[in-house]
Amino acid sequence: MSIMSYNGAAIIAMVGKDCVAIAADRRFGVQAQTVSMDFQKIFQMGDRLFLGLPGLATDVQTVSNRMKFRLNLYELREARQVKPKTFLSMVSNLLYERRFGPYFVEPVVAGLDPKTFEPFIASCDLIGCPMIPEDFVVSGTCSEQMYGMCESLWEPNLEPDDLFETISQALLNAADRDAVSGWGAVVHVIEKDKVTTRTLKGRMD
Amino acid sequence: MGKKTLWKPESDFFLQQILQNISVEGGNMAQPGVQMQGPEPYGAHGPRQQYFSPYSWNGGTVLAIAGEDYAVLACDARLSEYFSILSRDSPKRYKLTDMTVLGCCGFHGDVLTLTKMLDARLKNYKHEHNKTMSCKSIAAMLSTVLYYRRFFPYYTYNILAGLDEEGKGCVYSFDPIGSYEREVYRAGGSASALLQPLLDNQIGMKNMQGVQRLPVPKEKAVALVKDVFISAAERDIYTGDQIIINVITKDGIQEESFPLRRD
Amino acid sequence: MVRHVLDGFFPTASNGVVLATEKKQKSVLYDEHSVHKVEMITKNVTKIYSDLTPAYLPRLLVRHARRIAQNYFLTYQEQIPTTQLVQKVAYVMQEYTQSGGVRPFGVSLLVAGWDEDRPYLFQCDPSGAYFAWKATAMGKNFINGKTFLEKRYNEDLELEDAVHTAILTLKESFEGQMTEDNIEIGLCNENGFRRLSPSEVKDYLASIA
Repeated sequence: MSIMSYNGAAIIAMVGKDCVAIAADRRFGVQAQTVSMDFQKIFQMGDRLFLGLPGLATDVQTVSNRMKFRLNLYELREARQVKPKTFLSMVSNLLYERRFGPYFVEPVVAGLDPKTFEPFIASCDLIGCPMIPEDFVVSGTCSEQMYGMCESLWEPNLEPDDLFETISQALLNAADRDAVSGWGAVVHVIEKDKVTTRTLKGRMD
Repeated sequence: MGKKTLWKPESDFFLQQILQNISVEGGNMAQPGVQMQGPEPYGAHGPRQQYFSPYSWNGGTVLAIAGEDYAVLACDARLSEYFSILSRDSPKRYKLTDMTVLGCCGFHGDVLTLTKMLDARLKNYKHEHNKTMSCKSIAAMLSTVLYYRRFFPYYTYNILAGLDEEGKGCVYSFDPIGSYEREVYRAGGSASALLQPLLDNQIGMKNMQGVQRLPVPKEKAVALVKDVFISAAERDIYTGDQIIINVITKDGIQEESFPLRRD
Repeated sequence: MVRHVLDGFFPTASNGVVLATEKKQKSVLYDEHSVHKVEMITKNVTKIYSDLTPAYLPRLLVRHARRIAQNYFLTYQEQIPTTQLVQKVAYVMQEYTQSGGVRPFGVSLLVAGWDEDRPYLFQCDPSGAYFAWKATAMGKNFINGKTFLEKRYNEDLELEDAVHTAILTLKESFEGQMTEDNIEIGLCNENGFRRLSPSEVKDYLASIA
């Protein structure tokens, strides 16, 4: 069994009209056994910047801490907020530094530019190859299911409320067809002047 | 009398030649210090395992939905192997009787053998019993046929769609070794992981609050099938070219095709 | 004590920065256009230097600065902000005041750049100290130059006017005839850095005279 699916996870990020959303499931398990149902996989890295980390749980926490460390130094050194795209480069850099002994995470970055408020989503593979699409990104053990859902449900210029409904349905239905992800979800909708965080109950089995 | 010498195998030239020739798959018998001349004998570097796989994966997706008085079975028409497209016109639906259609994909060689054999069995059944086999019975028979090859299976994903004895739509889905179940909707084959959660949501009304489950009208089912296949063709390289949609009602089987992306 | 002998005058305009410098050669035998006192560091940042030391010293700093800029780009996939570059170059200069086996740089730098939709101008001294300016002068006649700029400078100067102001400031204390061969002008705006060709400089000089 792949080490990427040892703990199980499902993360999606989507672009809407002047907003972005990022959602993750909350399960932490060891192979088939569920251990807890309130595991954090999305980390807030700025006012309007979030980092989602599906993969091996220990690396999820290590990478999130290391990124926070680098980000704090960056923001002190440059006395400004990081742009999502710059942040993606930092993530990519961190991962490539471990090219031959990687962190087993495939991160998702979602946020708004701190100045222009332009929506941004991106994902990386585990050794730091970045991808910046304009519709949605998925990452985790049920990526095929999530691609199927997102490809059908997503449409351009969704308003924040519709975006929330879309990303939630995409995540819950995809995770329900995956044995190692699910157990509820957390959804962040990021707008220019507010971030809305909701936790969802799915089928809890 | 001359000096009597003790015979030793390493000093027998002919024996060495023979041993070298027969030791192709054994340990390396080459003598140290002996220069080989000409091409190296086969197996000079020790044993080597040769592999042959009796299976291939030719992709393809099938999808079926059962309604009140109809069943829809859709499949794509692409036949692929690795990164090549072998055919853009190879539908994976096989008409078994006047009201039963089989969707069958996976390893095309097994698909052909399996469908050919099912046809033969159905013909035989008709001759023996003077009636066509019911959808339910075909499903049971298919399960037996698949399980018969439990340890050298047909590498095929099967979905059977038709009408049951009461005239209601029915869908049976199978795994390659014969486990089967009657269901309302099911996707199988290469894009099944992309389609199934969507069907859960749109037909099974999963994760919806305050909605009542109404029977899906035929037109809605057909439209949904087209939508989801377009999405699947977007991300799955083994699905594309066109879809063939079979709608089975008491009046017979209607077929239509719909183009998908060809790249 | 660092001795500045050449002048550079640098007003920032509302839509760019101008760098102008006197480039006097010790001998008429020099090919004037083979030596530059204004150098591009990266797309959006430029540097000018004023010194009396052999040419390899500023070149070493330019090399340092270019490396710093490319390193930043490699890490963040983004052009280095002028502030960051100055900070890091100043750090290098400070190290040379303290490290064993090296001596401090005998140069002051002026670093001009454009980022986040506005122009930047920094002065960077051999000690490692650096300052941001709206307009400043450096070199042997910097007092006169600054006084002149104080009178001429205003916040919404256009780039074209800034070029004229820079040339006029340079002219204040210029010894001998000013030609396209003994001054150098660089512009930095949202499109990046551009060193004016001798013929362009000639046109500006003509419009002033």
